Amino acid sequence: MMKKLLQIDNITYSTGINGRLVRVTTALEEGGILNVRGPSGSGKTTLLRIVARLKEAGEGSVFLEGRPWTEYSPVEWRRKVHYLAQKPAIFDGPVEANLKKPFELAAVKKEMRFTPERAQELLERLLLPTDLLTQDARTLSGGEASRLCLIRSILVDPVLLLLDEPLAALDRKAADAALGLIAEWVNARAGRGVLLVSHAGGMERLPSVAVLDIGEEEGDCR
Amino acid sequence: MNSGIVPISNLQLALSVILVIAAGAISAALRLGLLKALFWGTVRTFVQLTFIGYALKYVFGINKLWLISGIVILMCFIAARASVARTPNVPKYPVGLAFWSLLASTGLVGLIVVRVIIDPEPWYTARILIPIFGMILGNSMTGIALSLDRLYGEAYSRAGEIESLLAFGATPWEAVRGCVRDSMRAGMTPTINSLMVVGLVSLPGMMTGQILGGADPHEAVRYQIVVMLMIAAAVAIGCLLLVGFSYKKLFTADWALKSEILQSRR
Repeated sequence: MMKKLLQIDNITYSTGINGRLVRVTTALEEGGILNVRGPSGSGKTTLLRIVARLKEAGEGSVFLEGRPWTEYSPVEWRRKVHYLAQKPAIFDGPVEANLKKPFELAAVKKEMRFTPERAQELLERLLLPTDLLTQDARTLSGGEASRLCLIRSILVDPVLLLLDEPLAALDRKAADAALGLIAEWVNARAGRGVLLVSHAGGMERLPSVAVLDIGEEEGDCR
Repeated sequence: MNSGIVPISNLQLALSVILVIAAGAISAALRLGLLKALFWGTVRTFVQLTFIGYALKYVFGINKLWLISGIVILMCFIAARASVARTPNVPKYPVGLAFWSLLASTGLVGLIVVRVIIDPEPWYTARILIPIFGMILGNSMTGIALSLDRLYGEAYSRAGEIESLLAFGATPWEAVRGCVRDSMRAGMTPTINSLMVVGLVSLPGMMTGQILGGADPHEAVRYQIVVMLMIAAAVAIGCLLLVGFSYKKLFTADWALKSEILQSRR
């Protein structure tokens, strides 16, 4: 039997313009991908931001590897549970500096180092030329920027990746490559997991995908 | 060189009203709607300055440390309140923080100036101390307001970047370091610019006043140099304190960006 990686326990929040109440209880096993679905404004992004502790929930709690989130400091938690926003966050400077950015943080620096080889490998995996590294990141297209951000999130090696529409800006080929990379990443080492907000097709090809529907109707989502 | 002060008589003072009548005529002719404001502005200038003239004469006469300290604290409070007008980006202006930042920076720099550099007898001579503190405050008030406003402006426009750093495990300080740097720069740039052009483009008010008052220009210049440098120091310290205290207010207790900072983006 697989070990439970994440447990979302009765997390409650309101969403949308009419403040619809959403209550989520779900779990994710190690090596699993949970595909969060629902119409626009149903609170998918809010759920991810709550799990990353970037937004406060009305009630409920989240457990990682059996420990409640209150036992972790915000920094410890976010080193393990990493949220990638839909809108790519690009910093001034070339692509390489953008990839290195998290490695300037004390919490990341003490655990790991930036390896250019790994960055290049990931660029290639996502069908990006490696000479992109020297390009000014502000000049990237939407699809390139969102792939850059996905690579950056994978480089810092979290336990749980919270991905908010990572494929939305990508064409079919790039989206397939990204989905393949996500599936490979989650299985490359024991103890990883992904919460994936996405409407893209091809999910069924992934191993061990569960679906969480945050529907229009009132009430509990399981 | 001391030619003494050329005094302005009451009649001469009254004649200066002619000048404001000219401004009023322009306002009326072009229907600028400023006539009323101009009238009250003139009245307030006369009343406030006349009052402060008597008050200063009284305070200089008594010259007691407790009285001077009280006045300096009151000046800091008024400056802290007044700087709010220059911070349209800041939702809840921290008057208390601004007050303490101004008091600390002005107090530190002002005391160095009156105790170490000018060193009058006694050191708390009101005629020296009050104008010095007033000049420091007038400038650092603008500086801290500019830097605080810039801090919030940067946080709004870079909310996505800040949140992404937090998501990587940044502390609040690591997440806003770039914004803090820009806001400090915004607060200090006007002062540094004035260090560059002083004497070439502008003759500072203090120096002009001393010269009109009959002082030797060389003496006036010496004072002005001290004043310029003390203002630069006080602005830097004031900005550092206020921004240093304020950046944490952008975050919740759980080290997430507050929703009002994010709202401008979403």
